Amino acid sequence: MKPTDSSNLSTDKSLEAMWQFAQTYAKRTGTYFCAEPSVTAVVIEGLAKHKDDLGAPLCPCRHYEDKKAEAGAAFWNCPCVPMRERKECHCMLFLTPDNEFAGEQQDIPIETIQEVRSSMG
Amino acid sequence: MSVAAQVTDSTFKEEVLESEVPVLVDFWAPWCGPCRMVAPVVDEIAQQYDGQVKVVKLNTDENPNVASQYGIRSIPTLMIFKGGQRVDMVVGAVPKSTLSNTLEKYL
Repeated sequence: MKPTDSSNLSTDKSLEAMWQFAQTYAKRTGTYFCAEPSVTAVVIEGLAKHKDDLGAPLCPCRHYEDKKAEAGAAFWNCPCVPMRERKECHCMLFLTPDNEFAGEQQDIPIETIQEVRSSMG
Repeated sequence: MSVAAQVTDSTFKEEVLESEVPVLVDFWAPWCGPCRMVAPVVDEIAQQYDGQVKVVKLNTDENPNVASQYGIRSIPTLMIFKGGQRVDMVVGAVPKSTLSNTLEKYL
C-alpha cells in the first residue's frame, strides 16, 4: 500500500478499515460520535496511521515510551480495555449518550475524515 | 491561530523551568481528538492571564523526552509549573472553569 498523498497520512486501506470499524462499533455499543466531527475524524486518522506504522490501531490520545511494544501489549489497541470493560474512551471517539460532548451520529462520511486530515497532514 | 507558543525538548528548560511566572504546558499530539477541543480553552486562558501566566504547547510526538520525563500518559494533559517544579495537572478536555480554578491557586 502506498500512502494516499503524503507519507504523513494513513493509507486508504487502513483509513477505510478504521472508518468502518468506528461506525460498526458505535452502533454495537450504543455510543455516539462527538458533536464536533473533526474530533472523530482526527482520531480515526490517528488509529489508521498507527495501524499502518505499528500493525495495530494503538490509541492516538496517549504518550508511549515505546509504541511498538505498546501495540504488542494490546491494552491500548482500539477498542482498548477501558472501552470494552466500561465504555470509557478518553479519546472521545465513542461517547455514551449522557456525555455532554456526544452528538447524535453513529456514522461519519469518509469525505469528512479526508478533508480534516488533508487540512492537517 | 493559536496564541500559545510551541516549546520543544531543547527549549523546555529555558521557556518553562526557568520562567519567572507560572507556566501552563499543554501536552498535545496531532491525531488526538480531545486536544482539538481543549486548544481554544488554552488560548482563552492565555489571553485572560496575559502577563500573569505563560502558556505554551508541547507536541509529545516530536518531543518525547520531556513528555516521558514528566510521565505523560493520557493526552491532552495540562501541567502547571512554578519555580521550575511541576505543581499541578489536569487531564483531558476540561472546561475553562476547571482550568482557571486550578491555575488560580498558583498566582
